[in-house]
Amino acid sequence: MTSPRSNRRRRFRETLIGLAWTSPWLVGSALFVFLPMAMSLYYSFTDFPLIEPPIWTGTSNYARMGDDPTFLRVVHNTAIYAAFSIPLCTILGVSLAALLQGRVRFARFFRACIFIPTLVPLVAVAMVWMWLFNGEFGFINQALSRIGIKGPAWIVDASWVMPSMIIMSLWSVGQSVVIYTAAMQDVPRHLYEAARLDGMTAFQRFRHVTVPMISPAILFNVIVMTINAVQVFAVPYVMFRRPDGQNPAGHFYTMYLYENAFVYGQMGYACAMAWLQLLIILALTGAMFLASRKLVYYRGA
Amino acid sequence: MPNPAPSRAISSAVRYLLLTAVSFAFLMPLVWMVSTSIKPESQAASGRVALLPDPVSSAPSQAAENYAQVWNDPAVQFPIYLRNTLVVAALSVIGMTLSSAMVAYGLSRVRWKGRGLILTLVLATMMIPFPVIMAPLYIVFRSIDRAMEGAGILPAAESLRMIGSLKPLWIPAWFGGAFNIFLLRQFYMGLPKELDEAARLDGMSHWGIFWRIILPLSRPALAVVALFHFIYVWNDFIGPLIFLTHRDTFTLALGLQLYQGQAGMTPWNLLMAASTLVVAPVLVLFMITQRTLVEGISSSGLKD
Amino acid sequence: MSTQPAIRDLTRRAALGTLAAGGLGFALFGPRTERQASARGRIVLDYWEKWTRHEGEAMQAVVNAFNASQDRIFVRYFVTADIGQKSLVAIAGGDPPDLIGLYAFNVPPYAESGALTPLDDIAPPHGVTIDRYALGVRQVMQHKGQWWATVNTAGSVALYYNRALFREAGLDPDRPPRTIAELDEYHNRLVRKSASGRLERVGFFHPEPGWWSWLWAYHFGGRIYDPAADRSLVASAENIRAMEWMQSYSRSLGVDECKAFRESFGNYFTPENPFLTGKVAMIVQGPWVANLVGAFKPDLDYGVAPFPVAEGLYDPAAPIGLIDTDVLVIPKGARHPEASMEFVAWTQRQDMTELLATKHCKPSPLAQASPEFIVNHPNRGISVHYDIFRSPRAFIPPPTRVWQQFKDEFDTVVQRLWRLEVEPAKALPALETRTQGLLDRARDERLRRHGAAS
Repeated sequence: MTSPRSNRRRRFRETLIGLAWTSPWLVGSALFVFLPMAMSLYYSFTDFPLIEPPIWTGTSNYARMGDDPTFLRVVHNTAIYAAFSIPLCTILGVSLAALLQGRVRFARFFRACIFIPTLVPLVAVAMVWMWLFNGEFGFINQALSRIGIKGPAWIVDASWVMPSMIIMSLWSVGQSVVIYTAAMQDVPRHLYEAARLDGMTAFQRFRHVTVPMISPAILFNVIVMTINAVQVFAVPYVMFRRPDGQNPAGHFYTMYLYENAFVYGQMGYACAMAWLQLLIILALTGAMFLASRKLVYYRGA
Repeated sequence: MPNPAPSRAISSAVRYLLLTAVSFAFLMPLVWMVSTSIKPESQAASGRVALLPDPVSSAPSQAAENYAQVWNDPAVQFPIYLRNTLVVAALSVIGMTLSSAMVAYGLSRVRWKGRGLILTLVLATMMIPFPVIMAPLYIVFRSIDRAMEGAGILPAAESLRMIGSLKPLWIPAWFGGAFNIFLLRQFYMGLPKELDEAARLDGMSHWGIFWRIILPLSRPALAVVALFHFIYVWNDFIGPLIFLTHRDTFTLALGLQLYQGQAGMTPWNLLMAASTLVVAPVLVLFMITQRTLVEGISSSGLKD
Repeated sequence: MSTQPAIRDLTRRAALGTLAAGGLGFALFGPRTERQASARGRIVLDYWEKWTRHEGEAMQAVVNAFNASQDRIFVRYFVTADIGQKSLVAIAGGDPPDLIGLYAFNVPPYAESGALTPLDDIAPPHGVTIDRYALGVRQVMQHKGQWWATVNTAGSVALYYNRALFREAGLDPDRPPRTIAELDEYHNRLVRKSASGRLERVGFFHPEPGWWSWLWAYHFGGRIYDPAADRSLVASAENIRAMEWMQSYSRSLGVDECKAFRESFGNYFTPENPFLTGKVAMIVQGPWVANLVGAFKPDLDYGVAPFPVAEGLYDPAAPIGLIDTDVLVIPKGARHPEASMEFVAWTQRQDMTELLATKHCKPSPLAQASPEFIVNHPNRGISVHYDIFRSPRAFIPPPTRVWQQFKDEFDTVVQRLWRLEVEPAKALPALETRTQGLLDRARDERLRRHGAAS
């Protein structure tokens, strides 16, 4: 039997050991995450042209947002992008995983084809698609013209920029397909047997067995995609800046944030935008978790 | 169920048809990228849809010419960007794997109060978008430079300077990454407790257990972390865009953008050749490590 | 049974090992930028410049000549993309280069933020004085009464036209258009469509290459910014007329056809440039077009004239034209301002400016040019560019610190106007309010920071 005192001592010692093992992250996150966050919160209340020191301006950076049409436009574009690309990517991802389910010959090959695009660096993604989307010589319009359709100027025409972005996001659906595939493999066989005995069709089985059983994976992917969609940067940054200026339809939240911080010398405004972005992401994920209580099925829960 | 066999045959035919079409659609952009990269400019920017240049026999020499032109372009210096990328990748992959494993060990194999809190914090930081910290992160590194200037270290030892060097890109990796810590922690939680209890009885320290038992056992999980992080570094665009001021220090992703961006000076066939050069290494890596990667991703999303 | 997976595993490991070893080897022993050995014992100056290829080589030649001319200072020439932005980050980071080759429009924001070394006191002892420069060029060197920048090269912007296409369309190649109305007429004569109605050629096309979407107002007798009052004039009658003129092209050619046509253009510095391929017969461009032609289509028969002006503004003695300048500055915090100034003085010598200007096909920024320079100049239209330099109606990019953002906002609206998505009479007043807001905020912030003194 150990005395309470030596017990407390041992616990203290273990806490020290635990802190020591986790110290890399504790130090690193303090220095490279929490400190920058605190700084950016402070800067968001200042005017800070980067070359000169910040001066306090109160909430003017936040107050400005409502009157800044460029800000409103990037919010609008980013919201539209997220609102379309996330559901479409989810539908495509789940459908492809379902197609790959069961005994499929060459499943590995098909999965590899779908997965490979997610490995392509985003700058290269942008370049390749710029070329595919080229209104005149691009592969897509050339192919369309073969079947008698005159393709649009995809990445120039304001009304086609968003469809182009969404098509590109569908191309990178591979990662979630892999996750859905794994989730579907974990669905117990006997549930399908029971459903079949109940006379369910293949689609009904998918709808009433597969989808509920993989709903945690769907929630996970939707959250990851939301965080990514709100931050989308590299692809539109490479694609929609031309010598004659930024294509307004291809202007997204993080691009404008970056321009304010490092081009226009308005670090304060950029930091205010960054904090708003954080709050938006927190609100969206919070809402999803709340909604998931009803919609997501956790085994054993 | 009347007549199941034909309907099953049809549904399976439809399935293969769909899968083939989808695979074609997903691969086509990359195929077209490579195809453009081996054509002369006049054929790349023309209404001709063909995989190979005309005449077909000119393909090898045209490919050699295009790739040599990209590789040797004095204005962009792809060999130097490749080296920079590899330096950042090597340093950050080593640092990320090692430090994440240590933190994960502390969060799984050491029993202490507060580890639940730390784990929650780790998970919470995964939600923080990079843009929130990117601008001030730049200022953190600038402050480190200023502090070194104050202490007289700079400009005496210029190689320690942060801004404009590759260091801001790999130093943070040595403090672990939230996602990787989480991944490894899940793996370590799954290892039987008896392992380290037996080792403890033999008088082994935590460090000994970590180094001689846990690390060797977790090789597959470490490989996943290393792979993920390598791909992340290879892809990273916004980090280099912010921290690298100097063309000598550019990475491939940034160099590729530069190549495209310089006042529209680059023809499409060369742009596609440069893109192929940037994409090819990750694809080769994927072919070798396909199983590890796919298993790593499968396990990342689900279990908690 | 188990041998096959084992072999596969082995191959995989071997491949991975080779890859890792190769990568590490390249990381350790791969190429680095060579640091010139001859710098030993000398003050080393880092010079960031935007030029690559032939333009960069010309500047490198000037640098090499300087390095060879003395043994106290050694200048290293580095090419940097997005120079304005990268320099801002480097200066803010406390590690600026010793010399930066910026664009003229960078001068006001840099100067007002105290990021540049003023030259009023340090330049004259080196024999560099403002009165040596051409009249129009002087405008960009100073900002708010102080001298901040010297000039590397300067170009004025003019109409470049394809003489062969003029002849083909029955137009006189020696009588280029002088007024906007004439430009329209020439354009209409030059438009050619295929049997299926697709555009094959146009006379003039506003977005090609679209580098100065804001300059039309000046050719209609207006301007978009008044520096004295710090006012945005984006919604001025002249600019509204100019934008309506631009839209008339989209309307008459068909806006969808215009978009598709524009996508058929090759990139600027390639043989597929639409001016070289004859898709666009007249463009608004600087003197460097001569280099473009020389590189890819030496037999292109081109002519140069001041860009046309609206009715009643034509005056051959005082052409209207933009002066776009590359400036050389010494950032604040540079370690050796005196040595940097010595290099600056070297680049501003008459022979060096002329060497550089010849290679860039530009006029010399100095008031005086040597006779050989003019006679041997590679650009056949060089006298037109000189006329604009000397003209009292030459103009420079609006000298305000918010120009970058002003221009981005402006470009965005111009794109939408060109695509006929908005109307000038509506969009431009809104844009004026917005750009005035930018100017006002910058002024307020200046006041808060420095008081009424600045």
